[in-house]
Amino acid sequence: MRLKIIVTLCLLAGAILAWNLHRIFLQVPDEASQGAIFRIIYFHVPAAITSFTGFYIAMFSGVGYLIGKDLRLDSIAASINEVSLAFATITICTGSIWGRIIWGIWWTWDARLTSYFVCLLIYFGYFMLRRAIDDPTTRARLSAVLSIFACVDIVLVWKSIEWFRTQHPGPVLEIRGGGGMAPGMEAPLWWNFLAFLMLATALVLVRTRQEGMRREIDALRRYAHAF
Amino acid sequence: MSPQNFTFMFYGFTVAWLIIIGYVISIALREKTLRQELDRVKRMVEQGEQSRQ
Amino acid sequence: MRFLRQTLAIAAKDLRSEIRGKEAVNASVSFALVILLLFSFAFDLEPEQVRNISGGLLWLIFAFAGTLILNRSFARELVNDCLDALLASPASGAQLFLGKCIANYVLIVIVEGISLPFFVIFYNVVPQRLALLFLVMLLGTWGITVIGTMFSAMTVNLRLRELMLPTLIYPMLIPALIGAIELSRVLITGSPLAESLFWFRVLVAFNVIFTILALALVEIVLVG
Repeated sequence: MRLKIIVTLCLLAGAILAWNLHRIFLQVPDEASQGAIFRIIYFHVPAAITSFTGFYIAMFSGVGYLIGKDLRLDSIAASINEVSLAFATITICTGSIWGRIIWGIWWTWDARLTSYFVCLLIYFGYFMLRRAIDDPTTRARLSAVLSIFACVDIVLVWKSIEWFRTQHPGPVLEIRGGGGMAPGMEAPLWWNFLAFLMLATALVLVRTRQEGMRREIDALRRYAHAF
Repeated sequence: MSPQNFTFMFYGFTVAWLIIIGYVISIALREKTLRQELDRVKRMVEQGEQSRQ
Repeated sequence: MRFLRQTLAIAAKDLRSEIRGKEAVNASVSFALVILLLFSFAFDLEPEQVRNISGGLLWLIFAFAGTLILNRSFARELVNDCLDALLASPASGAQLFLGKCIANYVLIVIVEGISLPFFVIFYNVVPQRLALLFLVMLLGTWGITVIGTMFSAMTVNLRLRELMLPTLIYPMLIPALIGAIELSRVLITGSPLAESLFWFRVLVAFNVIFTILALALVEIVLVG
């Protein structure tokens, strides 16, 4: 049953992405000032929104664990955070490549890239913490608390870095892609977001099953050592 | 619509796909190790139970 | 009232043991001086440029030196199972946490108070509005202390505790650090204060939000 859901989600996501890519390359006109590179926004922004959605859903899953003490909720939280981290990496890499063309440099400490990088660092820390704890319940508990802190902090990080960059403009102008797009250009963005969301859900389902296997292995090992 | 723009646009899409594919491959590898580990531990448990009987 | 009394008892215990040993403060001040020295090699700047980055320098020194004190905060209780004894005591997790926060806060402020004159002398930077600078130091330090003590509690039983604490807390501290850095820069260079009031609000909001969050969650972290 689960396998069927995963396969269906992947196929649907693949279909939407393929149809969308056709639309993006052939039907959407080039943006006036940016040229062809602007199409990267159709991966950059959906990946960003997917990853943020994931981080916050994972936080609620962690809170669910703290309330219900069900280790499956912790597995779900960890899986979602891992998949979101992958999408966050996509966001930063595509953002950097876009910046290479628009600004001529691979990296700049503009508000969005910096905030994203901080997000990445916080969640690397999350996984580092998980790896350092052997006991499953302690790991679940501390991960959930870290997740809550991270999600509250991300809002403050965004706002403060944004204001910092308004006061100290970097060497490049920040071009806010996404605001003021023509109606025909915006729709593929949301379709891609839907596709990414489906892909992320499929990956989360696979990872959660793997976490369940890990729990089964731990339980069997404890049982085996009891002899 | 300079050629350089198109090239980098393809780099961008390629990087995104490579990250997704790389992540899927890492998940698949983890699945393989987990299955091997699970089989090994199950065999260990069976041996333990047999030796007890 | 009893809440406060027990909290202050725990703070007093930590402060007393530190004043007798003076290990953490000494190490922290030495580290701060070493960083001041290293920065002098890393940046070879005109006086005007130094004044512009003074806020950043100052708070990097405070953040790095403060971590040494924060690391020891819960780690010192591991010897002889003191942590278990504290958790079994009538004091709640929140009281234990707040007591340690206050003790760490006092120690870090002492370290900052000792480092600041050295910074002024070494870099030839005289703060224009000293009283307000002290206020910013007090506000910023509370933010560092709350997050640092909370994560010290989280990482107390981990193998790579000393390595993990800085990696976890510095990204979290960025809003507070940016706010403190900007306010310090404005106060040291004598720029108009009006446009920096936003950072003051950020610092206060950061402190309030994370103090409440930490007090709410520390029981879960310490006990389960």
